Amino acid sequence: MKHINLSAPLALLIATQATGQETVVVTQWDQFAQSGISAAGPAMDELIATCQPALNGADVLRTIAPSIGIRDSYRLAVSAGKTPDLAYTWPAASVLSGYARVGALAPLDAYFEQYGWDHVNDFYRGRNSYGGSIYGLPMEQDLMGVYYNKDLFAENGLEVPTTYAEFEAMVETLKDEGIIPVAFGNRDRWPATNTFSLILGLTAGRDLEEHVLFGDEPWTNPAFVQAAQTFQDWAEAGYFPRGFNGVGYDEANALFLSGRAAMTITGTWVLQDMVRGAEFDLGVFMLPPIADDVAPGTMWGEGSQWQLSASATPAVRDAAAAYLNCLVSTESRQVWVQKGHTVPIGTTPEELAAWGADPVVQEFFSGGLATPEANFYDLHTTLPESMTQVLYPELQRLVGGDITADEFTATLQAAWETADANGERWIP
Amino acid sequence: MSTRHAYLFLLPALLLYAAFVVVPTLQVFAYSFFSWDNGIAQDFVGLANYARLGSDRVFWVALGHNAIWVVLTLAFPLLAGLLLAAILADRTPRTIQIVSAIYFIPRTIPLVVAGIIWGWIYNPLFGLLNYGLDIVGLGQLAGAWLAEENTALLSLNVVGAWTFFGFCVVIYLGAIQSIDPSLYEAAEVDGAPWWRKFRDITVPLLNNSTLFLGLYAAIEAMRFFDLIWVTTQGGPGYATEVLTTHVYKTFFLVGDFGYASVLSVILLAIVLSLSAIAFRLLRAK
Amino acid sequence: MNRITKHSQTLILILFALYALAPVYLVLLASMRSEADLFDGPLSLPWPINTSNYLRVWSESGFSTFFFNSLKISVAVTVLILLTAPLAGYAFAKMQFRGREPLFALFLAGLVVPAPSVIVALYGNLQFLGVIDTQIGVILPQAALLMPFSVFMMRTVMQEVPDELIEASTMDGASPFYGFLTVVVPLARPGLMSLTLIVFLFSWQEYLLPLVVLQTESLKTITVGAASLQGRYGVDYGGIAAAGLIAFAPLVVLFLAMQRSFVRGLSAGAVK
Repeated sequence: MKHINLSAPLALLIATQATGQETVVVTQWDQFAQSGISAAGPAMDELIATCQPALNGADVLRTIAPSIGIRDSYRLAVSAGKTPDLAYTWPAASVLSGYARVGALAPLDAYFEQYGWDHVNDFYRGRNSYGGSIYGLPMEQDLMGVYYNKDLFAENGLEVPTTYAEFEAMVETLKDEGIIPVAFGNRDRWPATNTFSLILGLTAGRDLEEHVLFGDEPWTNPAFVQAAQTFQDWAEAGYFPRGFNGVGYDEANALFLSGRAAMTITGTWVLQDMVRGAEFDLGVFMLPPIADDVAPGTMWGEGSQWQLSASATPAVRDAAAAYLNCLVSTESRQVWVQKGHTVPIGTTPEELAAWGADPVVQEFFSGGLATPEANFYDLHTTLPESMTQVLYPELQRLVGGDITADEFTATLQAAWETADANGERWIP
Repeated sequence: MSTRHAYLFLLPALLLYAAFVVVPTLQVFAYSFFSWDNGIAQDFVGLANYARLGSDRVFWVALGHNAIWVVLTLAFPLLAGLLLAAILADRTPRTIQIVSAIYFIPRTIPLVVAGIIWGWIYNPLFGLLNYGLDIVGLGQLAGAWLAEENTALLSLNVVGAWTFFGFCVVIYLGAIQSIDPSLYEAAEVDGAPWWRKFRDITVPLLNNSTLFLGLYAAIEAMRFFDLIWVTTQGGPGYATEVLTTHVYKTFFLVGDFGYASVLSVILLAIVLSLSAIAFRLLRAK
Repeated sequence: MNRITKHSQTLILILFALYALAPVYLVLLASMRSEADLFDGPLSLPWPINTSNYLRVWSESGFSTFFFNSLKISVAVTVLILLTAPLAGYAFAKMQFRGREPLFALFLAGLVVPAPSVIVALYGNLQFLGVIDTQIGVILPQAALLMPFSVFMMRTVMQEVPDELIEASTMDGASPFYGFLTVVVPLARPGLMSLTLIVFLFSWQEYLLPLVVLQTESLKTITVGAASLQGRYGVDYGGIAAAGLIAFAPLVVLFLAMQRSFVRGLSAGAVK
């Protein structure tokens, strides 16, 4: 059993005391569940075994926590100064820089240099940096796209849209046929942030996003307002199921998989669930740009990142870095794809084809990775926490029709200014 | 008996209580006067954190919801409990035992599970409520219940009432059964109808229980968390936000220790004031 | 009372009985549906009765672990309370000592303290003690939070014990503790029974503390497990229903079996 019941400090104590005896222990927190629909736990187990030699005799003690839980747990661990040596969680950008600022994380620049982790491109490096140093090694890659029901499309004579106008027309046809156009459930509050990130990027474009996120452009700029308006318009025009603010994310996916909705707009993190659950011919397309002057692209996120605790001893750090190098190697990437059902950063569509990944997986990544210059930000993992907690309810109100797009962006601007004044803004 | 013995008897309970309730309470109070960065205390800032309360719209909305919850709980489950207890009191002991047990069963169900169950009933896509409305032809009344700002808090209160009215019945029953039957004799002779006896005799005699239940409901309305967290988490928007969820989010999700402490202190101040009032009122009787 | 009044009153009783039981019945129904299309309508009763959801949830989803965790924690909390609260209640009820009123007021104040308002500091303390992600980290705070109610109830119960009997036991030169064990405890047994049941109930129902303290899946309690099933298994409603039933069935059974004891305990504060 790879679960630990020891508390982190006890394990750390073992680790630090053990360095004198050549048995180093690396405590690891991750979110790879052993059971559940798309569990990557078995892949993690296999890779721990494979990468054990790289650890030079050190042992890995794992605690597995669910994805949402681990983020909050890690934050509390930082506040107590009791972080595990190695953690795979998803702070990136603002939250990660917060941890770096208080000195909870060990810089990884030397290891990036030593092991040549060049597969991590500048975009991802930036998101994991603070004050000129890198603090996180991202491993997975998440993209957004539109899953669609090929059978339903064929039955209604619909083609994959290449322009936004075609997309709108297609939705109208679906509505006329009494089919729910887009399965969407926002009871869990975070799905809307992803959908909004996609709409925002396709309406405002990456450059404008960067001017807002890193510059002085306010959230109330016309393109952002337009994006908010578009999202609200979708809801009002009946794109989504009835009462979507009370429908869960999994329920919405089930709605799509049961054939009652023609599309769902979400990301690669549920690829396996989709592939396994669809009783129809499943396809993916990239949503076309919404505003005229915006290039095609999609939302790009890096899933979770590996972080090294500043309180880990040098021996533990070196062991962990060697182990990480093994985990992100090409051979390991193949295991992640084939057994962990995740697509690590650096994997090309060609490799996916060669490794026999499911055609839908290949379709998704070919489409998403085709536009690296224009791919844009995931608000959910880029904004400071205080702002995310404002975004959640405000998005619910926006799509619920309870506030206007102007009020929405104004509230966001106010939250942004507060976060900025608190020094929470992330600059890559 | 010596004082020393008394302290020895008290010590275990007191130690446990002090260590895990009293000390953290004092700590929270202290924390609220500092600024924090990522959970690490920085500088003493006096009342600066408290000043944020004024502009924190969510706090006032949440407080309002707590107040609405109190009123709703007093209006529905409390009165229902009173009426049901009065009706039940006239029945056979067997009936009383069975029916009051049925009413109390929801109280034994963990609020988390109750939230899951009622979440299904209210589900917009396949929930029983909308399904039932469709069947009896009232389909147009079907709504998103927990997903719409207008109906969310009310829908949740129906769940809260579901767990609470049985408790009210039990308390009131106990009190009614200790009323001297001779007090009703005069009314019987006059041929007074049931509801008049209820209104003029029963209800006034139950004032103590009403006071107790009312204050209990008020305090519970400030404290509850589970039900909201497992269903709407304060949403949609802020429609079901209450003080406890605001504290939880500020502490666990935003990581703002200073302000979360402030909110905790306010919450404590309110419940302690309510219970002080309760204590005084109940003692005076 | 005329017949119309009587019948309409019976109707009211029945309506509220339906209100109380309908959701329970629904969960029962849902738990017996197998892989059914959840959009088919919530009221279809499957035949023959299907218990596969229970078996699956119990073994595969680890619900048996959650159940025994809850059992362990609730029993531990109950035992801890039984070892501490009656003593304190007795002291407040029958002993004279300096500071009795203020100390009792201190306990009473804790009656209303909700877990969310001390969690900010409590969590840090638990981290410092190294008991985060351990069951003891849940047991100790839970017992502490239930202490005010327990001490209050025990004081009320102990006040009923006749003074003469207590004096008699100590006149023989026995220590107060001996007198407590041999005379008071047996007399207070119904009250102790009620306390046991109520503390067990409250502890089993607890959600926030296990949610934030326990991270490792194999340590979680049944309330946290039931809530997390919603996320993990998506739309396996049969399974979630079965899980919910496993979560509360023991409490219902316990309550029905010991109804009078429960009621007596809960009324302890109310009618006085």
